[in-house]
Amino acid sequence: MHLLLSGIGKRFGAVQAVVDADLEIRPGEVLSLLGENGAGKSTLMKLLYGVHRPDAGSITIDGRPMSIDSPRTAVALGIGMVFQQSTLIPALSVRENLVLALGEGRWWIGRRGQALRALDERLQALAPGVDPEAAVAELSLSQLQLVELVKLRLRAARCVVLDEPSAALAPAEAQRLWSLIRALAADGVAVVLITHKLADVRACADRVAVMRAGRVVAQVGAADADDDRIVGWMVGEAPPAVRAPSGSPASRPPRLWIKDVSVGVARGIDLQVRAGEILGLAGISGGGQAELAEAIAGARPIDAGEVILDGELLRAPRRAPSPSSRLGVIPAEPLRNAVAPALSLGVNLALRRFGELPFRVDRAALERQAAQLLERFAVRPADPAAPAGSLSGGNLQKLVAARELSQRPAAVVACYPTMGLDVTATAQVYETLFGLAGDGTAVLWISEDLDDLLHYAHRIAVMFEGRVVRVLDAAQTTAFELGAWMTGLAGPVGRAAAGSSDEVFA
Amino acid sequence: MSRSAVRDALRGLLLFLVLASTFFLLIGRDPVSMFGAILTAAAGSGYAVGESLVRATPILLCALATLVPARLGLISVGAEGQLYAGAIAGTGVMIAWAGPPPLLLPAVVLGGMAGGALWALLPALLRNAAGVNETISTLMLNFVAALAVTWLVYGAWKNPQSQGWPATVEFPDIARLPTLGDSRVHAGLLIALAAAVLLAWLLGRTRWGLGLDVLCSNPRLDSVTSLSLARQVLLTMAVGGTLAGLAGIAEASVVQGRLQSDLAQGAGLSGFLVAWLAGNRVGRTVWIALGVGALLASGDGLQMSERVPSSVTLVVQGLLFVAALGAAAHRDRGTRHV
Repeated sequence: MHLLLSGIGKRFGAVQAVVDADLEIRPGEVLSLLGENGAGKSTLMKLLYGVHRPDAGSITIDGRPMSIDSPRTAVALGIGMVFQQSTLIPALSVRENLVLALGEGRWWIGRRGQALRALDERLQALAPGVDPEAAVAELSLSQLQLVELVKLRLRAARCVVLDEPSAALAPAEAQRLWSLIRALAADGVAVVLITHKLADVRACADRVAVMRAGRVVAQVGAADADDDRIVGWMVGEAPPAVRAPSGSPASRPPRLWIKDVSVGVARGIDLQVRAGEILGLAGISGGGQAELAEAIAGARPIDAGEVILDGELLRAPRRAPSPSSRLGVIPAEPLRNAVAPALSLGVNLALRRFGELPFRVDRAALERQAAQLLERFAVRPADPAAPAGSLSGGNLQKLVAARELSQRPAAVVACYPTMGLDVTATAQVYETLFGLAGDGTAVLWISEDLDDLLHYAHRIAVMFEGRVVRVLDAAQTTAFELGAWMTGLAGPVGRAAAGSSDEVFA
Repeated sequence: MSRSAVRDALRGLLLFLVLASTFFLLIGRDPVSMFGAILTAAAGSGYAVGESLVRATPILLCALATLVPARLGLISVGAEGQLYAGAIAGTGVMIAWAGPPPLLLPAVVLGGMAGGALWALLPALLRNAAGVNETISTLMLNFVAALAVTWLVYGAWKNPQSQGWPATVEFPDIARLPTLGDSRVHAGLLIALAAAVLLAWLLGRTRWGLGLDVLCSNPRLDSVTSLSLARQVLLTMAVGGTLAGLAGIAEASVVQGRLQSDLAQGAGLSGFLVAWLAGNRVGRTVWIALGVGALLASGDGLQMSERVPSSVTLVVQGLLFVAALGAAAHRDRGTRHV
């Protein structure tokens, strides 16, 4: 399927989301659509998928002009989209979801067993390891994406749009995704891959299109686009360079002490974060990092052990978790865990010091006070009276970072703080986070981006199946070694070393 | 009010007029004269206005009793049960009172409020302790409270002088809230309006109200803000119960003069609908409650002037809510996002 978008424009209220955009999507090729948060990538693709209707411009499919007025029309034309939020039905099994994708059959169920077996075989071929009986609610993010792709294949989609599929994947999972995308293109499907990550471009793109402020500013073959040029198109200028943290804090006293903590799948975690230290915590999803972060943040009770901040007991089992203004927390999934979507940005920024607010609260005053902070953290749109739920994912991250990091906390727990952020915003969050470390804050930083971990962290603790299998000195390790520990490939040695992080200090 | 809100209101009003006119034609009446008769019966004289205010008072209190928990995201339909519980507790205080007579009135009123609050705390505690859905539990407790009144007025508290009529002894004059002139408008209305003003301030301008909005928008923020969701569930339900209990004791002591069955006259349900219609905003709740009270109060006058059953106004009330629902649904469909 050959698609041509020309002169597309779309306005939402006062915001011109897409301006005069031209885009060519070719069969058998992977087009990587890049751009910063809010550049208009998702909007442009939603216009193609019929979620919104364009104000201007035309869409031509295989030479014929088409009007796509709803996703239903798009699906009928053979266009499929995998959104950031899964559209599968969580309560149903994988197989049931796939049956739904087949569309209307006959009203009686003829040859059911045979049809289901064929479905299972298809699933097995495209997504090995996904149990057709499993409820969709229990699937991991990467499995969800696989099932979404299988669904599109069943519908025989000739054009597939993936909206930031790799944003939350571990390296091995991303590898698998890339090979599936290549396989799609090899079958002659036109693929659009919306992404922030230059690694995605290197791994599987044939062509690259870059959007900035609603316009398509570049459209070239992948070979003609090196990383610097792409970044230049995306931001319009060179992004601010983040300085790697300096100095070894090995001699400083510990500030945040996670002492034999067990919570969820995490067992017997013992870590110390020193003043000014950035301790990275790596691991594939489900390894227990998320539970540990929630426990330190006080969002989940701990089963055993203690968390000590500057010598004071912060968390313990059966102890009501009280928030501390001296602990900054950037949780995973900020929309779910960190903001009140219905309330204004100004109010959301005041939540960490909620208990200190006077009894008479002037919400308008909170919003006025917020303006400066929003400006400093470049939250867009910087309207302190706008509801937090109206922000894009990246701007929500910036909003939470603004609230949690601007108070100069003694320690910070940051869980995937740059997930979904573009190059500039990532640099801003890193600048703030690591700047705090420079001033003596202890930073526990959970991330799946191995390159960033190696570049910015002092030490990296690796979790596998609920235990810290290794604490590595970031300056003396490689992504390969890190990946081996994360996936348990460094097996017997790793198991033996489980829980003992002392050797790193030795 | 924004332009879209005005459009919604007009659309709802138009739909209501069409529905109500159709209904009047179906029962063989001229719609224009029926609307005229409703207006006259609701507000055509000082007496009519007084009766409208009397009818509006428990509806307003029950609407506020729904609104406060709703600001935390709770859907309580228990105002009616809390009203009955307040009436029972206040009447119990009146019957058992052995203290100095001047303290009887405050004791009765406080007893009524406490009764309503305790009744509302039951579903709150069940929710906190066992995750019991508050909508179902408050609905069920309505029946328990209403039947408890029936049980009492047929049994232990039945007035032996009432010649078989199931009701308690009358409230003595010193146990009745003061009334305005020779109308039946009582101090409960003033208390309700004062409560509305206070609630508007508390919910809109204080840390407490902000905290409710925060937890309503995202209950997981309790770990960020040091707010306790469980505590706010108890507090909002108790505040609501207090107001509904006040409605109950005011109805029993002043309007009916004694505790008897069917005391609530559907005020709990009307109050719930009023709060919903007002989008849980205090100001709008007051106006809509007054309007609905007037509509329902017009039933008695209508019965005499137009010779139709007073339940006609209940049908009209139903059509009013359906029209509002239709207007809101129309708007929601217009702005639906995928």
